[in-house]
Amino acid sequence: MTVAPKRLTIEELDRLCRRRQAAGAPLPAYVGPLARHVADGDRRLLKLEYDDSAAALRLWSFLLTEEERLHAARAAGRKIVGTMKDLGTVPVMAYALPNVVAFYPDGAWWTPCVMELSEGLFGVAQSLGLGDAFCPVRAMAGAFVNRAHFPIPDLLTCSVGATCDDFSAVAQRLESLGFPILWWEIPSRRAPEPGEAAVTLPGGFRAPASQVAMVRSELERLRAALAELAGAPLGDAELAAGIREANRVRAVLGDLRRLAYTADPCPMPALEMLIAEMLAIHFCSDRAESVAVLTELVAEVRLRMDEGRGVVPAGAARLFWVNPVADLRVMNLLEDCGARLGGTEFLFCHALDAIPEDVPPMEALARMALADPMVGPSADRAARIVRDARTLGAEAVVVSRIPGASHCALEGAVIGQIVRETLGLPVVELEVPPVADPMWPTLKTRLEALVETVMERRKR
Amino acid sequence: MSTVVYSSPFVPAEWIAAHGLRPLRLRPGAGAASVGPVMGMCPYARAFVGDVASAAAIVNPGRGGSPDPAGNAPAAGWHGHAPLRGHAPAESGTHGHATSRGHVTRPLASDPASGAAGRVADSPWRETRRAQGAGCPPGVVINAVVLTTTCDQMRRAAEWLALGGGPPVFLMNVPATWQTPASARLYRDELQRLGRFLVRLGGAAPSREHLADTMEAYDARRAALRGALGALGAREASEAIARFDAGEEADDAALRDLVRGGSPDPPRSGACEKDREHTYAAGQETRRARLEGPSVPREGPQTRRAQAVPLALVGGPLAREDVRVFDAIERAGGRVVLDGTESGARTFPAPFDRRRLRDDPLLELGDAYFGAIPDIFRRPDTALYQWLGRELAASAARGIVLWRNVWCDLWAAAGVRLREATGLPVLDLDVSGEEAGFNRTADRLQAFMEMLK
Repeated sequence: MTVAPKRLTIEELDRLCRRRQAAGAPLPAYVGPLARHVADGDRRLLKLEYDDSAAALRLWSFLLTEEERLHAARAAGRKIVGTMKDLGTVPVMAYALPNVVAFYPDGAWWTPCVMELSEGLFGVAQSLGLGDAFCPVRAMAGAFVNRAHFPIPDLLTCSVGATCDDFSAVAQRLESLGFPILWWEIPSRRAPEPGEAAVTLPGGFRAPASQVAMVRSELERLRAALAELAGAPLGDAELAAGIREANRVRAVLGDLRRLAYTADPCPMPALEMLIAEMLAIHFCSDRAESVAVLTELVAEVRLRMDEGRGVVPAGAARLFWVNPVADLRVMNLLEDCGARLGGTEFLFCHALDAIPEDVPPMEALARMALADPMVGPSADRAARIVRDARTLGAEAVVVSRIPGASHCALEGAVIGQIVRETLGLPVVELEVPPVADPMWPTLKTRLEALVETVMERRKR
Repeated sequence: MSTVVYSSPFVPAEWIAAHGLRPLRLRPGAGAASVGPVMGMCPYARAFVGDVASAAAIVNPGRGGSPDPAGNAPAAGWHGHAPLRGHAPAESGTHGHATSRGHVTRPLASDPASGAAGRVADSPWRETRRAQGAGCPPGVVINAVVLTTTCDQMRRAAEWLALGGGPPVFLMNVPATWQTPASARLYRDELQRLGRFLVRLGGAAPSREHLADTMEAYDARRAALRGALGALGAREASEAIARFDAGEEADDAALRDLVRGGSPDPPRSGACEKDREHTYAAGQETRRARLEGPSVPREGPQTRRAQAVPLALVGGPLAREDVRVFDAIERAGGRVVLDGTESGARTFPAPFDRRRLRDDPLLELGDAYFGAIPDIFRRPDTALYQWLGRELAASAARGIVLWRNVWCDLWAAAGVRLREATGLPVLDLDVSGEEAGFNRTADRLQAFMEMLK
């Protein structure tokens, strides 16, 4: 007899952890009870509900120990690169070097959520002139100043140009505080003119070859800086090997997404899928372990599919989710409302697509960088969402707005309109703050209404 | 003559004029801010789009709720855009938003290469209501719009505008970085791409000589304007710049001839600078020299009032009605001795090097604009703070009024830093574009003055 997976409280998950430890199960050293992180201030963990698998336990432990890995890397003499904004490109280059670790300081945008605002990062940001009008990524500035989270990187890079103003302004403020930044340009992606040489990018967008060449020249500056930092050459051979390894992560994640977003009943909860997808952008500071974590998740999903087990009943409304949520708990809410994930676009689909291996590595990386959905028109992004939602069989789209983000005011409207017109799917826009508890009734009502709409449409 | 409207100081008016088209840098009317979502969208960007829509006699009806009596769209009820025909998934190779000229835009009727037919008929701009208080000069027919990537809001406003049935829109890529040859080259490439757009619009690609002549004419007019500003009060100076940007003082026969394609004797002014190689290094030298070059004209002694507190007004662009802030400052007991807004003389291009102008006018144009204008979006933004340091010292300003549009992140982040960098008191004015908001602005100015006195 098989038992349906269920969501666990943190106490239940920690009991599972201790049972596995007592049983002598082979566990990576970083796996342990999540309560230790609560003791460090990660209070939101107490309110989340977790998948009940060993794979999920490993995923959470891997995620929550990243800062420890970074500090250990520093202690071991490895160089640390803080890569800001590009979400997926520069880490591929950095991890091609043996003694370099890369991470996204941007990830601090979730710290106020995880610590339920107790960490004071927004307060520090406010004192720097980065108030509530900015997206929660302003927490990153606080983390640099109070030095209580990640180690200060040896090299800090930031893509600018066709990026959101919030980020550009926050990063510039950081530089003014004495954190030097290697700025690199990512131009606003445009469609090729008639007769203009063009390139198809990973994911299907097309861009002028001249824009790809421009990005490539910018990435060459990064290559030189990384090699200088590492004291080792970063040649095409090393980069090609790095791309192959990154593609391994992407391939496993691709399997996981395809299975988790299409199987019925849904074999993996939304919250764990959000975390799993985040591994693609910088491997949570350990590329090889990322592959292992994702592989175990895929195995769990396949097992559940074979046994017909799911985390929600079969036939749950399939929602396509756009943008990451500032409050992780909202992913739980989605399932509480009778829905499941039926696809995602968390702002970094370019970090999920395979990087071309049949062109020179710098060309491949430039194409990937230019495929970033944020550097092109919202209509491009909408087209990608339409394509993926159609492929995955999504029944509705949720555009989750990020409070204060400069891109959210207009792009949600554009995406919503195009999805409605092209697919005829219902669309809702929600704004999710870092701790959404005060808005819980509103969010719940809107998601429930969306689920009801989906169910009604099925009757037609 | 076709009119090309733009907003950013990084769009060279002389480049448009050299193609035989009329450049008009629009200061939108705040009263036109009746389109688009209120939450999260910069009121200046809304006003600009609203003005263009009004001039085209089109106002976005795509919102779901009814406008309020002031014409503002309901924040929650705005539903964005009407159907977008011609959309195709990215994998089809038609690139989503159905552009084929390399930017977000609807097709030009006269452009057979543009494809994407059928968009206009089902446009979000179907309604033909003119927004009350629309700010585009009366009688102006807008034939095209040029926006830039210098801020995320305007970048996305370009797309939003282009989705409608209004005039064609060109989104010009202005790099944020500026210290590499690649960024300078990208800017010049974008000028050339803009040139092709202007030709499709009916313009004529200028010869090198014609471009140089046009640039010289503009340079001379700009020099005259710089000279004139020193004799004007702050509001009058700002309005004079607005008139210059709108081409309203361009009634001189020489300029008219140039715009029409003639080539009168170019005005002569200034000696040739030392010859330089057209290398990036030389460009850098030139840029440095320009950044340390002529100061912004300040009020002449005849307009100074000894008792008034000298202030700098620094920040983003001014809508047309916003010039009243100069009056409000005066009423409060201050006077603006340095206009560092995007609409002020801060964003003038550098004077042209006459020899380089003749050798390679496009290169010189790029250097004078991209290489010289200090602005908040540039990374790093050191040139802006160098400019401020120099000009604040020269102007003897005792305080800074930071003029920032609500939701403008770039200037919002500058408030505390301005204090740190200059040591001066800073009044951080968030501007909503609404009348009630301006009353609050006036009150805050009064309080700031009382603190400084």
